[in-house]
Amino acid sequence: MNLHVVGANIVVSIKSFYRDKTVVFFRIAFPVILILVFGTIFMERDNEIFDLDVQDLDQTNSSAEIAKAIGLSGRFKITQVAPAVNAAQYAKDNKRNLVLIIPKGCEDSLMHRMGLDDPNAFVSLTAIHDPSSFGVTTKMQVLNMVLAGMNQKMSGKPPFIKLAETSILSKKYRFIEFFVPGIIAMAVMTASLFGAVNVNAELRQKGVIRKLSTTPITRTDWILSNVLYQFILAVMSTIVMLLVSYGVFKVSLEINAWLLVFVALDVFAFVGLGMILTRFAKEAESAAAAADALMFPMMFLSGTFFPVEMMPEFLQKFAKILPLYYVNEGLRASMVSVDNMAALRDAAVIGIFAAVVFVLGMTITTLSEEAT
Amino acid sequence: MTKETEYAIEVERLTKRYGELLAVNDISFTVRKGEVFAFLGPNGAGKTTTVEVIETIRTPTAGKVSLLGMDVTKRKRDIVPRIGVLPQGFSSFDRITVRETIQYYSRLFSCRNSDVDGLIELVNLKDKTKEQYKDLSGGLKQRLGIAIALVNDPEVVFLDEPTTGLDPRARREVWQVLLGLKNKGKTVFLTTHYMEEAELLADTVAIISRGKIIAMGSPVELIESNANDLVLTLISVDEKVFQVVRKIGFEPVHDNHRNIKVRLEHTDDVQKILNAIKEGGASFLGLDVRRPNLEEVFLKLTGETLHEDPTGERGME
Repeated sequence: MNLHVVGANIVVSIKSFYRDKTVVFFRIAFPVILILVFGTIFMERDNEIFDLDVQDLDQTNSSAEIAKAIGLSGRFKITQVAPAVNAAQYAKDNKRNLVLIIPKGCEDSLMHRMGLDDPNAFVSLTAIHDPSSFGVTTKMQVLNMVLAGMNQKMSGKPPFIKLAETSILSKKYRFIEFFVPGIIAMAVMTASLFGAVNVNAELRQKGVIRKLSTTPITRTDWILSNVLYQFILAVMSTIVMLLVSYGVFKVSLEINAWLLVFVALDVFAFVGLGMILTRFAKEAESAAAAADALMFPMMFLSGTFFPVEMMPEFLQKFAKILPLYYVNEGLRASMVSVDNMAALRDAAVIGIFAAVVFVLGMTITTLSEEAT
Repeated sequence: MTKETEYAIEVERLTKRYGELLAVNDISFTVRKGEVFAFLGPNGAGKTTTVEVIETIRTPTAGKVSLLGMDVTKRKRDIVPRIGVLPQGFSSFDRITVRETIQYYSRLFSCRNSDVDGLIELVNLKDKTKEQYKDLSGGLKQRLGIAIALVNDPEVVFLDEPTTGLDPRARREVWQVLLGLKNKGKTVFLTTHYMEEAELLADTVAIISRGKIIAMGSPVELIESNANDLVLTLISVDEKVFQVVRKIGFEPVHDNHRNIKVRLEHTDDVQKILNAIKEGGASFLGLDVRRPNLEEVFLKLTGETLHEDPTGERGME
């Protein structure tokens, strides 16, 4: 191994990187954009104030009090809908996913319940909703909670069963804190996989490798310099992602040595996989297509964007054979739940995978024209 | 151990197969130190395969190849620092400048004292040092490739098709650089399918066709021993010209879509052909009569022309 040669390669790779604006965008800016977009969408979801359209058909003091009480819960911003309007049509025309109707006779029913103590008297509110709308389920759940609270208060007695919450995490975490480690894992995977494909297939196709094979550079120098280059960029990109996450969303994540360990394992695993792909798919385009075919299932099924637990059981089992799953889980274990044992277990799995694919990739990668 | 020899390259009964394809078929030749040796042949003749075996990129199927007295199959590590290579279809890193590219290759050869400026001057790229590789024209890229091939001050320089795909002006610029190498006394192994290139630059030319060397010697020797005849070139798109010439007993050959070449033993034959064309009612746009060159030698020996495939496609050589 010649460190002089390794250094020369890293310098050329870094210069090629920062002079190619498209690569800079996809490597650095794109993951940051993902963090900004998803972080904004899911920001403060727990305390979100929903819009709620209420149509009061009773037009009495009691019905107005119900609407007001819903608004006072702090979870809804109430918009009144005129009683003469067809509520379903109104929802369609105005793209509302939920319209709450307070029926005629609301006050009478209330009088029967409160004044005459008639336990059979009740009022049935109608929720006209659009089930295809993203988020309407959450909105209805919150509405049900608010109505349950109102019923409880009207009963005049304190609730008998209460729920005390105790988190297994030391702090309360938001979606963005779940999301950032996943994006780091995904960005490093994508860049390492495509970096290896680019270096080993595109440069070979262009004839650069043929020229290099006539110089003293060895396969070890070449592979080592490419892995180090990918690692340097992965660290840079991770730092940028974390800075943006801290700066914009004030994330609360634990930064420790595990982060570096998982980034390094992520690089080794996917550079190794990239080397294997390019050995079997010699054309740059077919190698890139094969990389896509590997990357997309991993992106969506490894728990990058949403927890694996949300998926059907068979997909959860499938997720556990994907290497990115262990990078995601390991990064979350170290950065979110600060569970060193869990991080160690995940590091062991991805470490073994990385060692196997990297050694295999290194063995079958050659600078020689003979193997092409 | 390195064997001291007057030859830079010794090839003995070299054969190279790619599966069923016999690319190089039992060829032998030597290249003296300090000479410019040209391997002349059409696309697919086996030139690149031969040169890549000598450069240690490929392993021979059979035969023995020595470079600077060392077996190319066993001494790659010792050979590589002493040779310079411009591979066929040379390419480099798109976004690296001319100067940076030369510096990069110098570092690969661990040449701390490479004369980067001298090389830039040698290949006449002084005004382009800050240009990125992707922005260079074909000729400039080839000149950069030659500079890179020289970063380690090699004893033997291999130039595989250095002017293929270049326009005539760029080709002449590359020739100037190659003449400079020749004057510096470098051993140069050149593969080409341009006969003018071989004729202009080479001390020795080996003509290769279908994996076999069919003639070898200095350009003058090859011409004198293989093509003493005159060559008449008729520029014509009239197919009748070809038929008329054949009818009166000559053997015309289509050189390209409008040139018809005829080998003649006597100058009188020119008049004979012109009369026949006139009488046959055929027409031509122009004519040229000249002494033969390497192209005619090749034509005579193989019955084929050396012209570049107009599609630009190349087979495995």
